[in-house]
Amino acid sequence: MTHMNSPGWLSGIFAALMLTVAAYCAGRLVTARLWRRPTELDTDSAHIIMGVAMAGMLVSGLRTLPADLWAGVFGAGAAWFAGQALRGQALRGQALRGQALRGRARRGAVTSPWRCLHATPHLVECAAMVYMFLLPGPFGSPVGSRFSFLSLLLALFLLGHVVVQGDRLTAPVPAPASVPAAAPVPAAAPVPAAAPVPAAAPVPAAAPVPASAPAAAGGCAPAGFGRPRLAPRCAVLCKIAMGITMGYMLVLML
Amino acid sequence: MSESLAVARPVPAEPVPAEQGRITALDPRRKLQLALGAIWLLDGILQYQPSMFTRAFPRMLSDSARGNPAGVAAPITWSAGFISHHLAVTNAVFATIQVALGLGIAWRPTVRLALAASVAWSLGVWWLGEGLGGVLAGTASLADGAPGTVILYAVLAVLLWPADRDADPPFVAARAVGRGVARGLWLVAWGSMAVVAVLPAARAALGGAISDMAAGEPAWLAWTDSRLGALLGQHGLPASIALAAALALTAAGVFLPSRRAQAAAVVLALLAAAVLWLAQGLGGIFTGMATDPDSGPLLALLALSFWPRAAAPANPANTAAPAATGSLP
Repeated sequence: MTHMNSPGWLSGIFAALMLTVAAYCAGRLVTARLWRRPTELDTDSAHIIMGVAMAGMLVSGLRTLPADLWAGVFGAGAAWFAGQALRGQALRGQALRGQALRGRARRGAVTSPWRCLHATPHLVECAAMVYMFLLPGPFGSPVGSRFSFLSLLLALFLLGHVVVQGDRLTAPVPAPASVPAAAPVPAAAPVPAAAPVPAAAPVPAAAPVPASAPAAAGGCAPAGFGRPRLAPRCAVLCKIAMGITMGYMLVLML
Repeated sequence: MSESLAVARPVPAEPVPAEQGRITALDPRRKLQLALGAIWLLDGILQYQPSMFTRAFPRMLSDSARGNPAGVAAPITWSAGFISHHLAVTNAVFATIQVALGLGIAWRPTVRLALAASVAWSLGVWWLGEGLGGVLAGTASLADGAPGTVILYAVLAVLLWPADRDADPPFVAARAVGRGVARGLWLVAWGSMAVVAVLPAARAALGGAISDMAAGEPAWLAWTDSRLGALLGQHGLPASIALAAALALTAAGVFLPSRRAQAAAVVLALLAAAVLWLAQGLGGIFTGMATDPDSGPLLALLALSFWPRAAAPANPANTAAPAATGSLP
């Protein structure tokens, strides 16, 4: 892995963007602890590390660790997110079987508001980092071109993820079901059979959402512990910035 | 908060921070819009490639003026010269505009603005960047995406416009402009390619044009393009006629009354898009000189927007759901 062959000022801009994302995510972790507001610890931590590593790839003067070491770090990250993705898959399977609103699945570790529920995009990000760090020779070299199709696939996935995130920034919430404003239903209580709701009935926009509900912003779990999630739109913007920059780096390797 | 399922008073379905609740499922048109946005984003990223900051980029633009009438060629030559003199700035602006178009389509409040801007941008690039696809120059070739890759962005922007003109659209593309206009655009898009396939100049040069795509490609793609080019070089006429017939069938397919026949035409269109994209060397995307992925993915997107919808359910309770989930700001 060597310094990328791109205009210096452009690489500098992307590197500055990555360092900004890394610094912001570090600030998120501190703020979340101080204010006791949920944030995705794993995602924010990964973005800090990725931001620093990518800045070093873009601008050689910002390199911090050897490529092999970085590859090991992101390999561990990929393993973590792979585990999260598998757990999320299992949870969704349980939800499909109607077990989401009761039992341990509801309060399980996977549904923690401090972790990302949809981990696959982060898994791909970590895998892309491992790929970029392990690729021998300079970017764009004939050695690299043997793997160019993989670069394209990774870039397409990440750019697709970026537009989906952009959509979710302002995705409309479904119209509320016309259910009377009654007393709160206990978390573990099953949905009353006496009040049948059509299958497509949406969840009220302003209503609190169970912790096991699929997430919207960033595809991650909604806030829990009675506190709103910390700056979710900013978190999504970080993901968008990260996706575009990584897509750019992968395109340079085509 | 998370420990209850308390129901508040009804709130209008307006955009709110999505983390507060579940978002609506994406309707098919929104999915296609997002795919279009992703392609614009890819275009922008490709425009940031190092080779685009070299003289090769304006040279590529000025080449498209060749053979065009003076009135068409002069602005192309002028713009290529202008870009050549302000290379870094203009190319960075071009790339950023395309990234902004992609993100604008993805961000719901700006979807109309971004789609409208993409139409204007596409028309401009079709003229100043592609020389009107070589249609007037007589150099139009399906291997180059003729009659113009970038014009497909404009067609898709029109067909995926967030409006509902047709109360019961038979396919997604009919929602915004009505089934008549949508079918007309489909006919023009695929019919013009059928015509290009049998043009004498294009027919003779198709094999060579595909073989030329092999340069700079990865080995597997170079091998495919070389073999395909050689095959078409040996059997140029029958191959062109077969291709033109397939494209003409595709063009006419959406006018057939049967839903199955329409679906078959769309499948044929998807196959044609895949073959063309392979013949285009995946748009030269691995060469470092591609400004877009060429017409293959866009034709596939166009085909998907004409996929015949299943008959609407008779149950009125279910008919409200698509309207709710399909609404765009």
